[in-house]
Formats: sequence, structure tokens, C-alpha cells
Amino acid sequence: MTEAATIEVEVTAIDQVTPLIKHFRLAPVDGGTLPAFSGGSHIIVVMHGAARAHRNPYSVLSPPNRLDAYEIGVRRMEESRGGSHFMHDSVRVGSRLQIAHPVNLFGLDKIARKHVLIAGGIGITPFLAMLEDLYGGPVPYELHYSVRSPEHAAFLGRLRRREGGRVHLYCDSEQQAINFEALLGNQPLGTHVYVCGPGGMISRVAAVAKDCGWPDSHIHWEQFSAPPVGDAFEVFLARSRISVHVPPDQSLLESIEAAGVEVPYLCRGGVCGFCQTRVLEVDGELLHNDHFLSEAERASGKTIMPCVSRARCRSLLLDL
Amino acid sequence: MLVTGIKSKPVYAPLRYDAGGRYHVMLGQEVGEAPLLRVLGDMSGSPEALARTRVLYVPLRAAAAGAAPAAAFGGAGVADVRIFGTTAALLEAFRDLLGRALMGTRLYVAGPESFIGLAMKIALEFNLNKDEIRAEECGTRARRVYCIHCRTTTENVRTNIVTCGGCTRSLLVRDHYSRRLAAYMGVMADAEVPGELPPIREVFA
Amino acid sequence: MSTAFKPDETFRDSFTFRNSEAAIRRFPMPFPEDNYMYSVNIEPHTAGPPGSVTEFPIDIDEHYVAECNERALVLAAEPLRFQALPHMMSAQWDCLELIMESLARDYPQHFALARAGNRWHWINRPLGINRHFTFGEASSLDRQPLDFITRQAQGDWVVMDQREGDLWTEAGMVTTQADWSLDFDVGMTFKEWHGPVPIAHELGVFDRALKFLLNLRLGAPVRRLNWTMTVHPRLDTSPENYPFWGPDRAAVTALNAGDLVNLRVELQGLWRLPRSNAVVFSIRCYLISLRELVTVAKWGRRVHRVLKNLHPELVDYKGLARYRDAVVEWLAPYDDGVPTTPGTAPE
Repeated sequence: MTEAATIEVEVTAIDQVTPLIKHFRLAPVDGGTLPAFSGGSHIIVVMHGAARAHRNPYSVLSPPNRLDAYEIGVRRMEESRGGSHFMHDSVRVGSRLQIAHPVNLFGLDKIARKHVLIAGGIGITPFLAMLEDLYGGPVPYELHYSVRSPEHAAFLGRLRRREGGRVHLYCDSEQQAINFEALLGNQPLGTHVYVCGPGGMISRVAAVAKDCGWPDSHIHWEQFSAPPVGDAFEVFLARSRISVHVPPDQSLLESIEAAGVEVPYLCRGGVCGFCQTRVLEVDGELLHNDHFLSEAERASGKTIMPCVSRARCRSLLLDL
Repeated sequence: MLVTGIKSKPVYAPLRYDAGGRYHVMLGQEVGEAPLLRVLGDMSGSPEALARTRVLYVPLRAAAAGAAPAAAFGGAGVADVRIFGTTAALLEAFRDLLGRALMGTRLYVAGPESFIGLAMKIALEFNLNKDEIRAEECGTRARRVYCIHCRTTTENVRTNIVTCGGCTRSLLVRDHYSRRLAAYMGVMADAEVPGELPPIREVFA
Repeated sequence: MSTAFKPDETFRDSFTFRNSEAAIRRFPMPFPEDNYMYSVNIEPHTAGPPGSVTEFPIDIDEHYVAECNERALVLAAEPLRFQALPHMMSAQWDCLELIMESLARDYPQHFALARAGNRWHWINRPLGINRHFTFGEASSLDRQPLDFITRQAQGDWVVMDQREGDLWTEAGMVTTQADWSLDFDVGMTFKEWHGPVPIAHELGVFDRALKFLLNLRLGAPVRRLNWTMTVHPRLDTSPENYPFWGPDRAAVTALNAGDLVNLRVELQGLWRLPRSNAVVFSIRCYLISLRELVTVAKWGRRVHRVLKNLHPELVDYKGLARYRDAVVEWLAPYDDGVPTTPGTAPE
């Protein structure tokens, strides 16, 4: 991923769909159409704030066959490093942003015999586009949508109108909870389950699915978590020959980018492995927060995922 | 052209009980009985797993079908055992079973490679993948060979060169394997110089 | 580049195929040095110099009409050279869009694409096609989308679905292949499909290639070159028809090698597809006879050296065993031992 590969867009509509979630419509500034994409894709939105640039991934929730604009949903995060606050507070209709081409790390399995979709809160967003891909097709599917209360169920009207009884809503406020054991223990062979929501929900679904004997390849998850914060530290980039300071609320990747050095990336969430970087030397310990490296790779101390991982160290030398 | 050492050739391994599965479907043909009994033996300490296990088995034609294998499986603690007179009947019952099976099912197949291949073809229809299937090859290694020229499949091939049952060309039997066709590729052995054939040997006994 | 098509050129029977001087100069030489071994030689598929085979993402040359005619002949005899598993329909449409957009944008003198929403209008002047259809609606075309459009493009096309951390070969138009069968291979994973390639697996070539391709991004296609040799400028060297072209290998001598033997280079392009998230692999085939090839002095020297020193397993895998020595003997007078410059360009 390089800076050159971005598309200029303008915000053409903003709606407050729930107390915490804003819906944005992004159209290309030069008119024309945006690239086609597959349901489950996300785009990296580049926001130029006063102090720093933010690059956050957001699922594209608009129908994949409508390419005059992309729609995204942004939840205002309580402990934000600035990205969601920027979107909620600083972006207006007419604001300009840059986005990267859609990337899909959460695609529907094309030979599945059934799809079970599980959404928690803002995790509904990728499913809106995926449902468009499934609608009217031969493969059965259902959506289980868990929210804190009815007013927080974003896009529920649109979902119900289109999908009717295929949508099952669960409100914490009404003591409704998804019965994962019942749900996952009774699916026909060839079913795939997709979960997007808080980390705890994802862990629970994965654990129950495994317990019911599902193989990993039939369990799909996507999580939008902000890179964990931590103590500040210094890193030296061997090839670029510069020293980079990593503050507590900025990721290693963001800090390196802010210093003007590009690192290839795709998901920015520690899942895809694209930003994997060689560690030449570390005097201290690496704090791995990714989902990609093996135990052995983590223990080797020779590699790191700068998008989510950090270090507690006196010095860190990277091959960048 | 590469004949042996091709990476598409299936790799088999001794069957082992997969405790991660919730339901277990076991298929056996001929000498596949022994590996299945071994797995069932591994499961003897798990009566709940045995209760959710089904065995489908077709014995050697020459042997008396029915009593002996059924008793052996029953002795291993499996209630649901079905013995079939033909492989075709077993495979049909297998397809029917998969149509009603749930996620969490594990498949165990033991027998000659051709039997495994045909069972896998059906498993593919239900989106079962390698994480859910275990296969142990035992018994004859005779191959199903797909003639790439006339698209006829010749069964029971034991030699490195075989006469195609369709177009009668002499086919070289390669290790390139298609799961979709459950067969190895056969390609004309003497296309470049007619009659120039390598020595014919029985290699897939 | 102004292209004068040679519609009556043949790739069978009389083999009237010949390269013009311009085609020889732009030939994609696959050897950057005097020795060859497998590597993951992938690079970004970005615009090459004007007039080169990589100037545009999808290349049309003087052989376009003749190659389309040849493809039609193959398909008439063997419809199974085109296959597409049912779940690959959106990938087929993605490919149709990719090819139509590229050709209309890069060769406006030959192709035109007008779109009003889903109502598309496609014009292919060299083949005399003028077609209105609805994008996404299979019934508005008389063939499946991938079949329809690849009959109007040079080279083979293979579409791989991405799932379960792997790539699955599940649709394709394959009529100009170097000895592999789509009918046999459809349904295989990336490494199974490449099963018959020697050595490369042990070198980790396919592990790295797969990992790279799984992360291939929209808008960032890549390419690589592959090569083999063919007797006569025959495009259809399929396993299916091996009984017909196999004997040619035994007909090569040190005297006739210059005219009979062709270097066959595949320019392979790989794109991520938008709606299906699949990966399409284009295998564009270029042929040049040895006689044409040695008109570039550097190439004469280099190809002689590459073939002389080629690893025996590659000689075998590329089907050169029977005539490699004859070719080396024919090329020998064109190799005066002078050092060659690195890189593939003619000097």
C-alpha cells in the first residue's frame, strides 16, 4: 500500500443513525464511479487532523453494485486516539478525504452451503454489503445482531425491510442474548459463520464453534480494534537512518509513517501480515499484539507487526 | 514431463481419532476394517463420542459379508454400523447421510485409494475440507486413470503403462491427481516416437 | 502502435505464422542473464516503454485476429477448453469488465465500450462484433461472460477463487497452453495445479508466490515471465492433443532447428478482481522462431548459453529433451563467446 494509490473523495451526506454511530456517504471528487468491490471489504480512510494524520479502516456498507459512492458507519469510540473523534467532530458535508482501494479480508466463502452472520454493535457494517451479495441467491443465510438497546441498532429498519425474518435482533437492555451453543450446534455441513463485533464476542463465538467441532476454516471474524496504547519508546530505522519516537497513543506504524517512511500495510489490525518487519536488534522486550505471528516467531524476537505491536525497551533497531 | 514426485498426489496418514469433532462418520472398504477398528479402539474411553459415531463398511466380495465385520464394529462399542454388499450402495448411503449431517462432523476413510477418492468426491459436495477429513490408504494401490485425450476413466490400473479403455492408446500413468475426477492423469506414452515405450512394470500393486 | 493484423496467419497445418521486424524487436525475452533457474520473479504490472509488450496491461499485437480465429477452431473441436464452476459467475463478469475496459481504453482505434448504468455497448472492430448487453445478466449474452470476452483476447485466462487461505483454479479459457489441461486441473489448489513443476516446490517458489498472491490488491496487478519451446509456431500444445504435436519433437535436427523451433514466452499477469475477490491469471503467449531470434545478436548468444547449461530436470519438464542438443548445435555459430549485457533488452 503506498500513498499514491488513494482516491480523493468528498463527504456528500452525514447522518446520525444511533447516538454513537454516524453514517457517511463518500463520492469521488472527479465524478465518475468508485471501484467495484466485494461485500465484507473495508477501505482505509486517511484523515488529516491538526496534529497528525489518522488512517482508520472502515467497512464499506453500501451495496456493492452502487458505485457512485461508498457508505461507511463510524462509531464514536470512548478511548479514541483521534480517528473516530475526527470523523464525528471535524468532518462535514463537503469535507475531503482520501481512501484506499477496498480490501477484503472478510469475504463470503463462495462454496458454503449456508452463511450464519453474527454482528455486535458497529460490527453490523460489513454485513450490510455482504447481505446485498447474498440476497436472492440460492444459499440460505441468517443474521444475528446483538446491540445494547434498540436505539443502538443501526440500520435496523433497512435490514428488516429487506431481510424480514432472516434478521434476529438481541438487545442487552431486554436481557436478550444470542445462544451460541444452540446456534452453532445445529447447522448443516458446509455452513460458515462470520462474526464482527467486540473482541469478547469474537472470542466467544470462536470458542463455542470449536467446541461444537467446527474447523477454523469455517469460522471468519473481523475486528476493528484500535492499536493498543503503551509506554513511549524510541526506534531506529536502520536503512532510513532515522530515529523515530513512538508516543503512547500512536502506533509504531503510525509513528514511522509520520516520520516519512512508508511501510507496506493492508489491514492495520495485526491480522494480514502485510506490514511484518524484521527486527535487527532489541534491548528490551517486544510486545506482540497481533494475530498473525506464530508463537515461535514471537519468541524469536526477530520480527514484529508495527501496526499493533509495541516494545518496552531501551533501543529497537528495525530493518526499514 | 514429470511423472512421479508430483505435489498433487494425495498424501495419506494413519487414521487417528479427532477429539475436536462432535460427530464421526467412518467409511471402510475391504482391508480398511482394521484402521477403523483401531480408531474406534482409541475412542473406547469416550462413550459419548462412540454414541455419535456411524460406521459404513463394504467387505471384500470374496469374503462372507455381514456377520464378522458387524460383530467386530459392534464389539468396539459403535451402535450404528451398516454393512453394504457393494461400494456403490455404501457411497449412496454416505451421500444421504451427509445431507442430514451437522457441522462438527469428522470423516474417516480407510481402504484402497480408489475408494478414498470416490468418497472424497462426495465429501466435496458438502464443503467438507481437509481439516474435517482423515484418510488412510490400505490395500490395493491400483489406480483410476483418466485419459486426457478421450476423457475415459480406466479402473484398476496396476501398471505404469496401460491401454486406454476408450481410445486404446498406450497411456503413461502420472502422479498428477485430480480430486474432482478422483483419478490420475494418463497421457499418451509414445506420442513422440510411436511404439517407443518404457518397460511395462506393475507399480501400483 | 499501428497494428496491421494478419488474419490469415495459421498456428497449425501450414504454420504461416511469422513475426514482423517490429514484433521481433518487442519480443519479451525472458532471460536477463546467461543462466536460467526458477524464481518468484514477480514485479508490479506497470506501464513499460511505448511500443513494448507491457506498455498496456493487456497487449494486442499483429497476431490478434489470427489468434482469435485459432481459439475459435480449438473450441469448436473441444468445448471443454472453457470451464467455469457455478460459483464463479461474478468472477466471470469481473474479467469481462477488466478486458473490455483495458482494450477500449488502450486501443481506441480497435475497441469501444459505452456504458449507461448496466446497459453496455461493446464494439470490437477487428472481429466485427457490435454488442449490446446487460452487465451482470447472463441471459443478455449468448455465451458465458468469460467465454464471450476471452474469445476476443489473446492468451489464456485462469480465474482462481480465494478461500480457506488458498487459491482454487475454478474457471478458465485455456487454448494456448504449454502442456497442461484445464479440464484435468479445474478444482485444484494453487500448489496442486503447479504439482507437475519440478524443483520449484523444493525451492519454496510456490509457497512464496501463494502468500504474495493471497495479498494481491485491487488496482495493483503484478506480472512475471515464463518460457518454454515449441516445435512449429503451434499455440495449442495441450496434453489433450499431444498425440498430434508430440511427433514434431522427434522431427527436429541441427539443420532445421532454426525454422522449426520456437521460443515460447508467457507474459503472465495477475489481477485482483473486485466483486468476486478472485484472482485472474492471464497467460499471454509469444512465439519467435530461432531464425527470427538470432537477428538480435545478443539474444542469439544468450539463448545458446541458457539452453546449453539448462538444469536437466528443467530440460525434461519443459519437454526439450529430444531436441535440445539439436537446438544448441544450430545456435552455436551465433555465439561468439562475447559477454552479454545483463537485462533482456536487445542491444
